[in-house]
Amino acid sequence: MTLFLQQFVNGIALGSVYSLVALGLTLVYGVLKVPNFAHGALYMAGAYVSYVMLTSFGASYIVAMAVSVVVLAVLGGSMEWLVFRRLEGKTPVHSMIAALGLLFFMEGTADVIWGPTFRQVPTPFDGVVTLLGVNITEQRILVIVAAVVTMVGLYLLLKRTLVGMSIEAMAQDREGALLVGIDTRRVALLTFAISGALAAVAGSLIAPLLLVFPNMGELIILKAFVIVILGGMGSVPGAILGGYLLALAETMAGTYVSFAFSELIAFGLLVLVLVIRPTGLFQKGV
Amino acid sequence: MPEPMLELKGVSVQFGTFLALRQVSVSVAEGEIVVLLGANGAGKSTLFRAVSGLERPSEGTIHFDGQDISRLAAHRIVREGVAHAPEGKHLFTEASVRKNLLLGAYVRRKDPAGVQESMEEVFDLFPMLRAKAGDAAGTLSGGQQQMLSIGRALMARPRLLLLDEPSLGLAPLVVEEVFESILEINRRGTAVFLAEQNAHAALKVAKRGYVIESGSVAIEGDRDTLVDNPEVRRAYIGV
Ligand SMILES: Nc1ncnc2c1ncn2[C@@H]1O[C@H](COP(=O)(O)OP(=O)(O)OP(=O)(O)O)[C@@H](O)[C@H]1O
Ligand SMILES: [Mg+2]
Repeated sequence: MTLFLQQFVNGIALGSVYSLVALGLTLVYGVLKVPNFAHGALYMAGAYVSYVMLTSFGASYIVAMAVSVVVLAVLGGSMEWLVFRRLEGKTPVHSMIAALGLLFFMEGTADVIWGPTFRQVPTPFDGVVTLLGVNITEQRILVIVAAVVTMVGLYLLLKRTLVGMSIEAMAQDREGALLVGIDTRRVALLTFAISGALAAVAGSLIAPLLLVFPNMGELIILKAFVIVILGGMGSVPGAILGGYLLALAETMAGTYVSFAFSELIAFGLLVLVLVIRPTGLFQKGV
Repeated sequence: MPEPMLELKGVSVQFGTFLALRQVSVSVAEGEIVVLLGANGAGKSTLFRAVSGLERPSEGTIHFDGQDISRLAAHRIVREGVAHAPEGKHLFTEASVRKNLLLGAYVRRKDPAGVQESMEEVFDLFPMLRAKAGDAAGTLSGGQQQMLSIGRALMARPRLLLLDEPSLGLAPLVVEEVFESILEINRRGTAVFLAEQNAHAALKVAKRGYVIESGSVAIEGDRDTLVDNPEVRRAYIGV
């Protein structure tokens, strides 16, 4: 039972990060119909910015994360402005190839700057809390809490503000959005910026638990695609639920079956869902 | 004759090598109801889309209130006072009726009191929308969606309303209801440019109109001229 609870908490922590990454991906997909593989690079960049702030500038963890959020919002917005905006009206294949190109370009850039070395990111939250016999590192608690806070913030932004309403409107009907006077280019830019910020939160949260390296975004972006397809392309609740479910399934399989098997789950599910229910398991809806 | 509010001069729209509009010149004056008749594929929607900025003319000018809007972005044209209830409605189907209307007033977001007032006006015009205010737009019937589409356009408080085939796919009784509301909207001071295939219904409300065929204006005139025109009678009234 203790083992189960222990793994449950670990699964929730991992799921928090999966969900955050999937959220950024699904938002951009919902609004622009771009499958943004480069989102994995934003997540990687978010981790590196925090790493640099912590190790070179001696910033506190919270400040490092805040800087990372701002830098990545700008980077995300630039991606839209410099690349995807110019592909408007081209086939989806153009955007997809551009996204892949950006992913490898950014990974290459990180490799040039920091080299292929695996970096350890320090955290002040290195204590361990014991609850019901379960040992939880403070960093995991931070991951879980910060992810929930971020998701609530995103929910309020989408549902309660005009900016959020315009994002939802564009996701539901781009032409309708134009006709009510929404500047869809501005919304696209903003959505990319928000997605960059979400990637920064995810990357900064996970960095101390894992190692930071140029390709760290590849596996997680593929898993985020699984989650987004599972949850319904463009669906916000689907991305959140899907992220936690996949992480829990992986963690439990890793505990009770084998680690190798756990890495098989995501892609097994992907093929299964695509074959059985290509529209995803949940209703679409931001 | 006063300066028309909307004036298209020699407007052409091209899709690849296909000319969907060929040097079309039409106009709508302040407070008028004008109908644009034409068969499937004649170019009615293309003309409206050019006015609201969804298509770019390859030649010609589109003036609204004396300003050339043919190069303005779609979201700017709404601000100038032209609202478009498009073919296919393009509602926000997962959002509530109320949210659709609120989004319709996006260009007036700095004026929440005025927006509330307009919302009440739309609810008075289409009482059914008030009853369904909390329902997702996608759950409404075809006629109700048409009314929501018109209501959403009105929320921008336009001076010119473009209505693209509002009678399409509706039962005769509902068509009558929709056309009643068009008259009421016009009485409140909004000019209406109406695209229709249902000339019978449209010519009851419009005082003048145009017939377009294969992208060109073929016939134009006031209601009586159009009603008496043998070609209009044969093609659009079915007598
Ligand atoms: N985006 C597009 N690309 C290519 N051709 C188009 C496009 N939009 C419209 N057309 C063509 O332009 C012509 C005019 O179309 P339009 O939709 O304006 O006609 P319409 O009069 O509105 O017809 P309907 O009564 O069926 O709505 C048609 O031949 C149509 O196939
Ligand atoms: Mg049409």
